[in-house]
Amino acid sequence: MAVPLSRQKLLREWKLYFFVVPSLALVLIFAYYPATSAVYHSFFEWAGGDTKQFIGSDNFRRALHDQVLIDSFFTVSVLIVFNLFKMIPSILLAVLIHRLHSDRWQYLYRVLLVVPMIVPGLVTLFIWKFFFDPNLGVLNGLLDFTGLKGALVWLDHLCGWGVFFPNVPIGWLSQPELILPSLFIWGFPWIGAVGVLIFLAGLQSIGQEVYEAAELDGVGPIGKFLYIELPLILTQVRLMLVLLIVGTLGGYGLQLQLLNEYGGPGGRGMVPGLWMYNRAFYAGEFGYACAIGMILFAFILMLTFINNRYVRIDK
Amino acid sequence: MSTTTSLAAHRRDWPKHIFILCFICIELFPLYMMFQVSFKDNATFIRQPWLPISPLSWHWENWGFAFKLILPYIANTVFVAVTGTVCSLFLAILGAYFFARHKLPFSGILWAAFLALMLMPSVVNITPLFMLLKSLKLLNTLWALVLVGIAGGQVFNIFVLRNFIEDLPRDLFEAAEMDGASHFQQVINIVIPMSGPIIGTLAILSFLGMWNDFLLPLIVLRDQDLFTLGVGLIYLDGEYVKQWGQIMAAYFVASIPLIIVFLFTMRLFVRGLSAGAIKG
Repeated sequence: MAVPLSRQKLLREWKLYFFVVPSLALVLIFAYYPATSAVYHSFFEWAGGDTKQFIGSDNFRRALHDQVLIDSFFTVSVLIVFNLFKMIPSILLAVLIHRLHSDRWQYLYRVLLVVPMIVPGLVTLFIWKFFFDPNLGVLNGLLDFTGLKGALVWLDHLCGWGVFFPNVPIGWLSQPELILPSLFIWGFPWIGAVGVLIFLAGLQSIGQEVYEAAELDGVGPIGKFLYIELPLILTQVRLMLVLLIVGTLGGYGLQLQLLNEYGGPGGRGMVPGLWMYNRAFYAGEFGYACAIGMILFAFILMLTFINNRYVRIDK
Repeated sequence: MSTTTSLAAHRRDWPKHIFILCFICIELFPLYMMFQVSFKDNATFIRQPWLPISPLSWHWENWGFAFKLILPYIANTVFVAVTGTVCSLFLAILGAYFFARHKLPFSGILWAAFLALMLMPSVVNITPLFMLLKSLKLLNTLWALVLVGIAGGQVFNIFVLRNFIEDLPRDLFEAAEMDGASHFQQVINIVIPMSGPIIGTLAILSFLGMWNDFLLPLIVLRDQDLFTLGVGLIYLDGEYVKQWGQIMAAYFVASIPLIIVFLFTMRLFVRGLSAGAIKG
């Protein structure tokens, strides 16, 4: 570790400060200034121009009664639950790949997993949007082809959803009731390359001999997962959990592109980040948007705090 | 391990292989659709949505259209991502060197100032950031994206590089100082050559981040000549009558640069992505 310098040495080394100045300046201008500005402007009615009016905490009081914002927090909670569920395939796949005896195949599968990552995320998103298309989309084609559509219509009759009808194409992204299910199906089979690679890194420390010992003791495949693999990747699972929750809570790119700036029909896909974006860039209510940003920031900070306090990540 | 047991073990793996292959096939299915639809026109696609058609009747004009449309976007994105990545890493190396080499007065406070930003979600900043860029007259320029990209990369890159530079052998720096090397020369001749892999990993992460970004370009860019890939693709998605073949070809062309990068840096890529999740 670097030790404090003597006065004499300090006089010689002061030029070193120049090394940190560019980074510091950039961070001050493009991170600290906007953050401060957001706090400041959340107390103003501001349309983005030169004129603004101080309105105290009115923006925050408005947010408390803003039904769209309140609903959006419910929606985002549902999405977080979805995303937690969507972690399972990645864990499963990482364990399966790790259990293979051949290193060559392990490497090959790893590379194949990364391949979808080199397609821009937006492209994957738009291909899925195309899959959801009611008339030409792959999803409806697949349902018709396999006859699953009939099953859905039958279930609809049974439960009285009023969503699926015979001979009417399913509007995955245009029927309000189907927005959340579509956001769930999106990305099937939900394998995140980054997740799998991280879990694999955690599994790396288990040697073949551990498995052999377990086999001698008559531990089955599920036992191996529960007693050998899961404890070792728990750190990684927690890490992914935190990233997922924080990412889902603040994210809105997916909803903006898959649906629209109003969160699709009926606003069923509206999330807090998207509402902030919508208020700022579609309604021109920059002050209110800053206030929503503050509320969102408070939630994210709280979650980060809870996570540091109760969910320890041992490095 | 003896060969007989390992052979038996290998053979017992086949159900796992089938399972994994199923997963990967479904995972790659969107890419397959993108590729095969890119050679069809709408009529062909409606007649035969699933299987590829014979190469003799491929609609190459889809690809011609895609190249003409997407290449300028790619050029803009390459400019933003390459300039941004190079500058971001260079400045981060200098900053990390400052923190790693000597404990000067205030360096503790400065370090805290950087670390505090790790808590701040950048999404929340987008409204005031837009107003800032507006008052700096940077709206509708690629430089806005470059500057925000460089600034956004500083915290994480400095954090990683500081730990790395602190672990470099001290003797090297002391010997260089004896020979009268300035700090800048030490950075160029010692730090950069010795931290090749970590710089490569960080570079891939920064590059991917800027390459895939579309939220900032969407609010910053107005002129179609300046569009980056993200905005260009969104613009294409907004067209009223959709020629799916052309669109899919455009998606494929948009993926080509990263495919080329990937082919040359596969190992770095795989490792970089594993490290990327730590970044958050």
